[in-house]
Parts: sequence; structure tokens; C-alpha cells
Amino acid sequence: MSEEHSHHHHPHDHDHPHDQGAEHSPSADPAPETQDASSQALSEALRSSFAVVKIVMVLMVLAFFGSGFFTVGPQEKAVILRFGKPVGEGENRLLAAGLHWSFPYPIDEVVKIPITEQQIVSSTIGWYRTTPEQELSGEELPAGPSLNPAIDGYLITGDRNIIHSRATLRYHIQDPFNFTFNFVAASNTVQNVLNNSLLYTAARFKVDDVLLNQVAAFREAVQDRVEELAEEQHLGIIVEQCDVESRPPRQLQAVFDQVTIARQNRNKALIDANSYTNEVLSQALGTSSTIINQASVTSANYVTNMVAEARRFNDLLPIYQSDPGLFTQQYLVKAMGEALTNVEKWAQPTSDNGKSTEVRLMLNREPPQPKAAAGS
Amino acid sequence: MKRNLLTVVVGAVIILIFGLLLFVFQVRQSEVAVVTTFGKPVQNIDQPGAYFKWPWPIQKIYKFDQRTQNFEDKFSQTLTRDNNNLIVTIYTGWKISDASAFYPKFLGSVPAAQAALENMLRNAKNAVIGQHDLSDFVNTDPKQLKFDEIEAQIQQEVQVDLTTNNYGISLEFLGLKKIELPESVTQSVFERMKADRQLLINKEQYEGEKEATIIRADADRQAAETIANAQAAAIRIRGEAEAAAAPTLRVFEKDPDLYIFLLRIEALKASMNQKTTLIFDDRTPPFDLFQHLPDNSPTNSASE
Repeated sequence: MSEEHSHHHHPHDHDHPHDQGAEHSPSADPAPETQDASSQALSEALRSSFAVVKIVMVLMVLAFFGSGFFTVGPQEKAVILRFGKPVGEGENRLLAAGLHWSFPYPIDEVVKIPITEQQIVSSTIGWYRTTPEQELSGEELPAGPSLNPAIDGYLITGDRNIIHSRATLRYHIQDPFNFTFNFVAASNTVQNVLNNSLLYTAARFKVDDVLLNQVAAFREAVQDRVEELAEEQHLGIIVEQCDVESRPPRQLQAVFDQVTIARQNRNKALIDANSYTNEVLSQALGTSSTIINQASVTSANYVTNMVAEARRFNDLLPIYQSDPGLFTQQYLVKAMGEALTNVEKWAQPTSDNGKSTEVRLMLNREPPQPKAAAGS
Repeated sequence: MKRNLLTVVVGAVIILIFGLLLFVFQVRQSEVAVVTTFGKPVQNIDQPGAYFKWPWPIQKIYKFDQRTQNFEDKFSQTLTRDNNNLIVTIYTGWKISDASAFYPKFLGSVPAAQAALENMLRNAKNAVIGQHDLSDFVNTDPKQLKFDEIEAQIQQEVQVDLTTNNYGISLEFLGLKKIELPESVTQSVFERMKADRQLLINKEQYEGEKEATIIRADADRQAAETIANAQAAAIRIRGEAEAAAAPTLRVFEKDPDLYIFLLRIEALKASMNQKTTLIFDDRTPPFDLFQHLPDNSPTNSASE
């Protein structure tokens, strides 16, 4: 302002000697030529320096207003505060990427808000003390017999077990104005919302559900809680993804593994039993179709045989009836002859003195094949 | 005259600017301010904009950040109603809502305000947790879980405290951040968990065996049933065959003696398979032929 003030004064100073020169020139005719020349030179010099000052002045005014230009990058938005109050309403308050102009300070103030596409926060509770480097290299500190609340994070589940669980939340900011002007550190608030959601959700779930049976449901419940709280606390964020990782306490890893093995064994036993079922049932089906087939075959044979026998009976009947005694004897002897070829035979002559003859046979013996001569 | 007028205008502009600097102040969005007259708060400003004031030393302006600030208390051990020790940490979002009340209480110091807040939080936490059982904090039954109620009650207590003391602070939100157990307790929890796991292992084993046995027994039963059905079907088929053969049987009625004789012959033949030993005396045909040998042969030595 003081500069502007001096600019205004210089033009007057410039006009003044010019007017004086004009008044004096007729009366100063007798004055020496040298004096006139020097004053002319002086006024020339003054005039040219005033011109420079004028240009500088114009440039400074331009610079003053030009300083009101600013650019907004692609990864940010800007808000103009005029006397501290945001210009525009709602979405219009946010200036998009490009060139913009505002009045210079102290009238306007430009606040730039970075809006990276995606924000990421990780939970800070629920996990034992470790660092990403240690995790990658597998050189985590060994687990002690207990968990120190000052150092080790963990969660208590609904069935009062201890587990470790951690979450990573990816979100984007729906309302950058709110995010910047209503929160000192909004991302910390988001982080605590995530922590609270983990804590709350674990308090409702059973340890086996978190770790095994309902992993997806647990993850969804955490995300639901985050969204609910973000809404309640007017954080103005949109959750894109919420990843949750859980594990049993390291102190109990071995015994948890044993449960897994027991479950696998159980499944295997079931699979085995089911394949046994298939095997036994298909065998039974095979056997039963064999039984039925055999029955059909024997039945058919039976009928056929019966018919054949009936025919033979009809053939034999007249011969038999003509002399039953002769036929019987003849037939029997013939049949005996056929039958006896294949058996071991003992002929015991009748004793003449009327005493019975004693024959001793060894039981459980293997009767010899025909032709072989063996005795008891 | 022209020169004087311009000088006056410029002078006026300068005076105006200095005057504005002296008499006007801005309150930014995200700020609240209090105006004091000789140290006494007279005006509270909670909307952004430009405002008038008397110049120093008459009036002074104190501006504060009115955005929500995060604050977490230090973890402390608290006893539940059923005598469980819990280590609970709370996070809050608080903000300066009334600069004219906030300024005189804490002389504008945020750390001082947070210290006061921490005290209130501790008291509220102890009071509320002492009214609840552990089962209100962790429970698989959502109806019995009182997590949200506990949070709301603590917030309520703190809010009442803040209002009564007129701190010019408002609590935007409050939540539990950590619920943990004393270190020694974690060890006994581990022991219990281990025992639980062992039970589970046994249960998996026994149930697996039981289920497998049931499945196998069921398979055996089904197989037996299938075979029994087949056998029944076979009997039926044979019965049908016998029924079909029944008319043929009538033929044999013409002479049952012959028929029975023929059946006995068949039975005899059937029984004379291999591995059969027969003992005859010499009256059985055809061995009776031996009886009619000439008498002059040595009779008694034949059998010996």
C-alpha cells in the first residue's frame, strides 16, 4: 500500500517541475544557455525515470492481481476462503484441477486438499508385536507364555478366547471438504473406527467362526461396522475394501493345528465310509442280480426237467407195469453199477456163525480218491 | 486542487486499510473465536467470516481449531461387576464447541483440556464398566452383548460432566479401542483354550468314528436288504416255476410206486459222489453174488 501511495505522489512531482519550466521559459531568456541546457537535461532524466517507475508500478499492480492465479493439480481439490468463509455451496466449494483465480491475501485464502484416489489404513490393535520386515524375513520375536497388554495386541472373542486379528481398510473420500475442515486428523479417526469394528465384531464371534467356519462373514461384519460408524461420525468416506486376517495365538498354534488334522481325519473317515457304502451296495446289487438270475435259470431248468421226466415216466410206465419186479431189479442193479464206480467200497461177508462182525472206521479221515488203495 | 484531492483520497484509503487491520478480524472455516474486552470474554464466534472488534488493548481475539480432534486415554485396569479385571482403552473425537467457555477454563491450552478429558474418561469408564459383567462385553449372543450400550453410557457420563463443568467442549463420538486382560490372566486363558482344543480334537475323532460306523452299518444293512429282497424274488421265481410245473406232476400220479422208485434211484445216484465210502455185506445186490460161490473154498479166511 505504501508503494502505491508513493506512485501517486511521483506523477505530481513530475507535473510540477514541468509546469514551472513552462512558466519560466519566457522570462528566463537572458539566462545562460548552460543553465537552460542543464535543467532541460535534468527534466529529461526525471521524465525517463518516471516512465520506468510507471512501468514498474503497472507491473506491480499486475503482479498483485496476478498472484491471485493458482493451479489445482489432478490429485487435489481447492477451496477459496473469502474472509475465512468458503466461497460457494456444497459441491461447488471444491475447485477441480486447472487454473483458477482468487483475490490475494488477506481477502481470499486458498486451501488445497490432496485427494489421492485411494486411502489405506491398517488396524493398530489385535496383533502381536511385529514389523513387516520381521514378518517377511520370518524372524519374529518368539512368543512368550503370556500376552502383555502394553505390547501385544489381541482380541477377545464372544466365547472368551484370545485370537489375533488385523484389518486393512481401503476407502476413498467422498466429501473432501468435510474431511479437511471438520477433522484435525480424519485418517486417524478412520483408523480408530477400524480398530473399534474389529474389537466389536470379535466380541460377537466364536473363535472357530473367526478362524475357520465363518471367515467371510467375520470380514463382512467388520466392514459393516466400519461403514455404520463412518456414517454415524460423519466421516464422509466410502469403503472400497476391507481385508481381515486372523490367526490363533502363536502359543497355541500346535494344538490348533492338531484340531485341523483331526477335522481332516474325520473328513477322510467319512469319505472312506462313503466309498465303503458304494462298494458294498454295488456288490450287493451284483449278488442279488446273480441270485435272481440263478433262480430264473434253475426255475427254467426245473420246468424243463420236469417235462423231460414226465416224458420218461410215460415211456417207462408200460414196461414197469408189464412186470414191476423185474423192472425194479433191473433198474436198481444198473443204477448201482453206475453209482458204485465212483466210490470207495467195502464188502463185508456175512459171518456164518451168526456173530456180528465189527468194522472200525477212522472218522474225520479224508476218504481216498477212487483207484487209490487205502484202508483204516 | 487536483493534487490535494488525490492526496486526500490516497490518505483516506491508507487510513481505511489501517483501520480495517485494527478493527476487523477474520475467523476461518474450521475455527472458532472468542472476543475478550479487557480480558473478559464477551462474544463467541462459531461461524467463519469477517468480524468487527475494538483495537488492542481494548479487545483481544483468541482463535481455536474447532475441528474434531482425536484423543485416546491411556490403558488402565478396571473391575467389572463380576470381578473380572479388564484393561480397556477408549478413543474419542472431541471438539471445542464454545470458545468463550473453553478459553477461560484452559487458557486456550489443548493439552490442558485433554488432561481434563482424560480424567473424566477414567471416571466414566470405571463407573460404567463396574456396572457390567464381562458377558456384556463379549458374547456370542448379539442380544446379550451390550457393547454399544457401554460405549453410549460412557459417552453419556462424560458428556454430562462436560456440560456440568461448562468446559466448552463437546464429545463427537466415543468408542472402545481395546479390551484386554491382565497378563497373568492370558496365561490361564491359554490353558483353558488348550483344554478346549483337546476336547475338540477328541470330539472330532469320536464323532468321525461314530459317523463312519453308522454309515458303514447302514451300508451293510442296505446290502443285506438288497440280497434278502433278491432271495425273496428268487423264491418267488421258483414258486412260480413249481406252480408252472404242477400240471406236469399229475402225470406221476398214474403210478406213484414207479415215481417214488425212480426218485429213490436219483437220490442214490446223487449221494454217490466222490469221497464216499460204502460198506456192504454180501446180501446186498449185486454183492449177493459172492454168497453163491462154491462151498469148497476156504470160507472163514475171506474176511480176515
